[in-house]
Amino acid sequence: MTTGSQSSPAISVVGLTKRYHGTTVVDGLGFEIPRGVVAGFVGPNGAGKTTTMAMLLGLVRPDAGTGFVLGEPIERPARYMSRVGALIEGPAMWPALTGRQNLRALAALGGHDSGSIDDLLALVGLSDRADDAFRRYSLGMKQRLAIAATLLGDPQLLVLDEPANGLDPVGMAQMRELIARIAADGRTVLVSSHLLDDLEQICNWLLVIDAGALLHAGPASGFLAGAVPRVIAVPEHPHDLHRLAALTAADVDGAALVIQVPDADPRTVALDVNRAAIAAGIVLAELGVHRADLQTHYLDRVQGASR
Amino acid sequence: MIRAVRSELIKLWRPRPVALGLLLATGYAIAAAALVLAAVRPAGRLGFGPSSQSLAAAGGGTEVFTTGLAFAGFFVFVLFTGAVAMEFSRGTIRTMSLRQPDRLRLLAGKLVAMLGTAAVVLAWMEVVGWTTSRLLAGTHGIDASAWAGPAGLRAGLGDYATVLYWITGYALLGTAVAMLIRSVPVALAVGIAWAGPFEHIVADAWHLADKVFPGLLLESVLGGDRYSVSTEQAFVTSLGYTALAAVVAATSFVRRDVS
Repeated sequence: MTTGSQSSPAISVVGLTKRYHGTTVVDGLGFEIPRGVVAGFVGPNGAGKTTTMAMLLGLVRPDAGTGFVLGEPIERPARYMSRVGALIEGPAMWPALTGRQNLRALAALGGHDSGSIDDLLALVGLSDRADDAFRRYSLGMKQRLAIAATLLGDPQLLVLDEPANGLDPVGMAQMRELIARIAADGRTVLVSSHLLDDLEQICNWLLVIDAGALLHAGPASGFLAGAVPRVIAVPEHPHDLHRLAALTAADVDGAALVIQVPDADPRTVALDVNRAAIAAGIVLAELGVHRADLQTHYLDRVQGASR
Repeated sequence: MIRAVRSELIKLWRPRPVALGLLLATGYAIAAAALVLAAVRPAGRLGFGPSSQSLAAAGGGTEVFTTGLAFAGFFVFVLFTGAVAMEFSRGTIRTMSLRQPDRLRLLAGKLVAMLGTAAVVLAWMEVVGWTTSRLLAGTHGIDASAWAGPAGLRAGLGDYATVLYWITGYALLGTAVAMLIRSVPVALAVGIAWAGPFEHIVADAWHLADKVFPGLLLESVLGGDRYSVSTEQAFVTSLGYTALAAVVAATSFVRRDVS
């Protein structure tokens, strides 16, 4: 049996289900994440992201279904957790211990060499504060120390649950940069976040779930390929809005005209709108083609699924 | 398990907490020895606590220590309950479980490290308590000449073994409560209410309480035959409770989700 072979996916699950007090939190989830990708795990609050991750990490037992992590069954986390670094539900460490002592305690617990601790502290930018008590750290520093802890033992797979949660914009940018740097070493990373713009920048694989069920699993580009481009035009004078709408068969959305372009070339449609406006003596203040970003398309899909 | 022991020792054996712990332990050992000697019964008079006659025997020096410690069981219970429940409240049990997914080894390693640390502190307290008692014995009319011989050493080692059993019992009871409840305030409230007032209030009204309640049984093991239950009976019954607590703690930790 080649359960631990490099050819197996980093993560695969089939029919994964978890219920709490009669409520199904994760409902028959099935997906695969190939090795070497940075996978974004997207879903609204309560969608089941953290529970799914906890099941992958052996913290929570599934009620049904099964899965494999690095080729090993999730019922046997001791077989693979030494090759997995994980941060789940926030950075939980011992407040009285320094950053360095926290890492030493965790390295000892995982049976990892503590010789890499200085390098890890440098990687996350905490060398100067390594000997301060954890309780004196800001939230961003705590998150970064927790990321350093996930890298103990040079893991093949990182599972990061909302690593940028609660951070300010600067902290978010630092976290995004840090994850990108970690992923550049060829590790597989599974990262959940509400910050879809951030995920769009660092992820090349996407899992989208809602209400415990899977909406998409595959390359991020595949998810966005389903998004319909839009041509948006805004006339200079608001009273021209409905006249232009009649000429172009467009929908009015606030002060703008919005034309969904599922099949045609959106640039050609934009040119047609411009010509129609010029012919009618209407000056356009704005005209452009908008391709859906992750956030927009995600909201379309999630809201569509809930309708 | 060795990994979990090493990890726990890194957390426990830090200069400031060790210095503070030893300071408190020293203070307690000195104060307890002084108080027990001040309350000693003259030979032949019935009552609670050691008599001047028993203290003049070879094991008198460490009997002062064990008698002084018997009242600290409540604190040991609360200490272990709080320490384990705190890991759940802070979420550090999750962090630890990610590093050591074999939860039995994790729990066993944590307890071994904590009890090993307690064993060192108790050994120090016994030495301090014995020394204090030796210095004060004369002022209370107790002949301490038999304490320093081989028989005294044997008695001291026997008392130390009893103390280790006593603290292991309280530690496992506290850990079981913490594992079941997983919340610091609730676990402490339950622990304090049970080990503090409940057992002792019921004991005042029910003569069998000494033979039934785990805290009182462990007190009896340490306090000797002065209680209504014999030391042997207290040992056997409390051993059952200790084993049950270990099974409950382990089963709860292994079978329940860590969230």
